[in-house]
Order: sequence, then structure tokens, then C-alpha cells
Amino acid sequence: MTAIAHKPARKPVRGRDIVWMILPAIPFVLLLAGWTIYWAIVRPNMGTLPPVWTVAQTLWQITASGELLGHIIASLGRLVAGVSVGIVTGVLLGFLVGLNKRAAEFVYPLVIFFSAISGIVWLPLVIGWLGLGPALFIFLIWNTVFFLVFQNTVLGVQLVSEVLELGVRTLGGSRLHTILNVTAFGAMPYIMSGIRSGLGFGWRALIAAELVGASSGLGQMIFHAAEFHRADIILAGCVVIGLLSLLMDRLILVPLERRTIERWGLVTPGAKGA
Amino acid sequence: MTPTVQGDKIVVENFQHIFDSADGPIEATGRVDLTIPAGQFVTLVGPSGCGKTTLLKAIAGFIDPTHGRILCDGAPVTGPGRDRGVVFQELAILPWRTVRRNIAHGLEIARAPRQEIDATVKRLIELTGLVGFEDRYPHELSGGMKQRVAVARTWAADPDVILMDEPFAAVDAMTRLTLQEELASLSYQTKKTVFFITHSVDEAVFLADRVLVMSRRPGTIKASIEVPRRTPGGRDWESFTTDTDMQAIVEKVLRLVREEKTAHKKDSAPVALEAAG
Repeated sequence: MTAIAHKPARKPVRGRDIVWMILPAIPFVLLLAGWTIYWAIVRPNMGTLPPVWTVAQTLWQITASGELLGHIIASLGRLVAGVSVGIVTGVLLGFLVGLNKRAAEFVYPLVIFFSAISGIVWLPLVIGWLGLGPALFIFLIWNTVFFLVFQNTVLGVQLVSEVLELGVRTLGGSRLHTILNVTAFGAMPYIMSGIRSGLGFGWRALIAAELVGASSGLGQMIFHAAEFHRADIILAGCVVIGLLSLLMDRLILVPLERRTIERWGLVTPGAKGA
Repeated sequence: MTPTVQGDKIVVENFQHIFDSADGPIEATGRVDLTIPAGQFVTLVGPSGCGKTTLLKAIAGFIDPTHGRILCDGAPVTGPGRDRGVVFQELAILPWRTVRRNIAHGLEIARAPRQEIDATVKRLIELTGLVGFEDRYPHELSGGMKQRVAVARTWAADPDVILMDEPFAAVDAMTRLTLQEELASLSYQTKKTVFFITHSVDEAVFLADRVLVMSRRPGTIKASIEVPRRTPGGRDWESFTTDTDMQAIVEKVLRLVREEKTAHKKDSAPVALEAAG
């Protein structure tokens, strides 16, 4: 009996591993170097493109003054609320449509119709309907996240191997038991992929919404800076958004995937999270 | 485990299934009548595409037959149920459950007490040689071990009838011999009614109390051959290959299957038959 079972042992961190943890930073370093060289040669207007160190200084200033933290907290609160509503509704409706052909016939045309209409279009109308409050942000983020999570969930549910579901049915599992114990797990790689895209595009929707309808938040900070031609603050804001997005991926999604879909062999690690 | 139940376990009456396709209806099987007594191990051999799997799916309750009906313990089959366990050719165990929790799944569904679940799982893990792998996930196991988990999972749920669709086709030849011996002894010990589909004539005779030969598509059952009772220890390949009575049965079944292949050639249809496997 040949058994190729092996325990996934925790390897000690070696020099090579540390190198591989640092290497992904290279593209960012190259970007900064390119920016610096371009700036040194062309010397553009400070209001158009400031040098790297000015942006770094500004970033430090708004961090030290506590201004940045206030904006981050305001933005993150909105993002989490909007993305959560988007994920919950996207997964629930995705399951309904993925599992039920009749439901699919009713819901699909509606979803495709509305997925083409961007948040910017809704904005003037929704301000009138919901006012300039939290509901506005939640709606605009939902309007992006929902469609991504929904489409991925539908695909994931439909791709779960029928034989896995039938197997559990023959063990006496009810339809609900099979959905909760087979379909939900089997669809997870796709749902996770939908959540990952949803988070990224949720940030985009959030900043766009904040440009218009907020008195605080990173989008508002950027919008305010634009009025005074403070390109350094705009770029500092971009850096913060990008870093927060990266941190959320590395601290929440990647560990979650490692413990679930990678642990179960549903996806092969390697493409991400070196 | 349940003791042998007397009488007819599975009755297939005037069965035929017809699929709708873009080119019109396709007869998946011919007319099939079949009775499987309780506790019998029945194997079914026949050429590819003859309708073996369709018949098994109908007994499992996955498809609603076009004609006829299927009875289990005298009651018509209307859908899948825990009285009829299925071991699939594809490795149908759940990747997100450990070996232990896959085997326990049927008992968890039945809300069996914790102690009973633990005891049954332990016994089946020992019987199927999975000791030491209880907490592994399926992707960490070899094909042969995954298939043992699949067999153990079905047995643990303690169905009266076990339906197996070429369960060992995907494992390597050496492992297959071991799995076949283990299945022979497991089924003998537990007195289950088993309906087992295979391409391999050797496998069919080795495991069976009775071998059925199906004709090419649309398949009907053209022969039923009794195999002498198994001994308490089950069977092993060494004594099977040297047993002249057994080899005579193998030859007889092989001849019947080969006729189908020859008939096939005359029609020059492009479906191959894997007689041995």
C-alpha cells in the first residue's frame, strides 16, 4: 500500500525564505526609483507631481497630527459596512440563483440590467433618496461588491461536483444539509475570489462616494487636497489606500484561505502569499 | 451491522430508461428485469455504454426510469435514501472533511450518539487499514486510500444495500487487488446486499455470489452465472487464480462478454470493450 500522505510540517524560517518575503517589494522600489529619476530630470510643478520625499514628509505630518487616523477610521467603517452588506446579499442571492433554475430565470436579467449602471449614475439620485449619510456610502459600495460576489457565488455553486452532493444524499442527508455541508464548502474558492475583487472595487466606490458626500474619510481628504493643488496629500492618500487594501488581503483573506480552501486542497497555494 | 434479511431486497421490474438528446431519444438500456436477494453480492459486467451505470443510478434513486419500476424491500424507489449507499468511481468523499469526519458523516446525519459514532469509525478505520490517517484531509491521501475512505464512509452509514460503480477503476493495479480482497471480506462479514458494476471479468467473478452479463447498448441482462459461496475468510487472489472451478467461471463469463464485443465489431460501432482490467 503506497501512501503518499505527509504531514504539512512547519518549516523553520531560513535565509532564503526571508529573501522571498522581501523580493515582492522590488516592483514598488523600482516604481519609486523611476518616479525619483523622472522628477530629478523633468522637475515638474509641485502641484502636479511632487518628489517622493515630499510625499513621505506629508504622510508623516498627517500621521503625526492624527488627521490621517481620523480619516482612516471613517473610511474603514464605511467600507466594512458596505462590503459586509454586499457579501451577505451577494452570497445569499448567488446561492438562490445557483441552486434554483426558476429563481435564476427571474433574477438574472434583473442583475445584468443593473450591473451595467455605475455608482456615479446613481449618485445624484441616491443623494436625494438617502441623503448624505451612512446609507449613501453603504449603497454605493454595495452597488459594486454585490455584483462581483453574486456572479462568483453563482458560478461556484454551479461548479460543485454533483457526485459529492449525491454521495451525501445517499448517506441520508437532506437537501438543506447537502447545501450547507457540500455546496457551501465546494463553492468557497469562488466566493473567496468574489470577496477579494469585491474588497478592491469596494475601495474604489468608497473613495468616489466620499469625494462627494462626506465631511471625513480618505476620499474627502483627497478631494479637499485637490482644491488646494496639494498633489503630495493626494499621493499620500493613494499610498494609504493601497497599503490598507494590501494589509486587509494579507491579514484577513490570505490566512483565511490558508486555513480553509488551501488546507482542504481545493486550491494549490503558490500563486499568492509567498 | 444488520443481520441478513430474508427475501428479495431489490426488484427491478420491466425497467427501461430513455434519454432525450438533441438527436432525439436514446435508449440508455433495453428492458431489464432483475431480482437481488438480501445479502447477495451481485456484479454486473458489460461493454461501455451498455447502460450499467444508468441501471445503478435508477436503483440509487438518482434518475426516474422511463419505464417500469424499482422496489427496495417491496417499496418503490422514489429518490436517494440512506437504505441504499453508493460508492462512486469518482472519489466522492468531501475534501473539507478529515478521514474520520468523512466516515462519520452518515452517522452524524442520523444523529447517532457520540460513542456509537466513535466506535463505528474506529472499527471501520481498522478494517480498511486507515489507522494513523484519521485526521488527514483527502488531498493528503493516495488514490487507493481515498477509495478506502469512500468504502468505509458508505459502510459506516450501515445501509442495507450498497451500490458500487467501478469503485476501483481509478486506483493502480496492485492496490486494486488488495482493495478487492478487503471488500470481499468486508462484505462477507457484514452480509450486505451489494450491486457492483465493473468492466473487469476477473473482478466480477472474484467478488460475486452471482455475475450478470449485460449486452451492448441498449443493454439487457443476457446471462446470470452463480459463483460458489465464499468462505468465511472471503477470497484471496492466490487461491482464486489456482481454483479451476473459479477459472472455468471466469472463462465462461469472458466468452459471454467477448460475444458482445464481436457482435459490436460486426456493427462497426466505435465503442471499445475493456474486458479485463
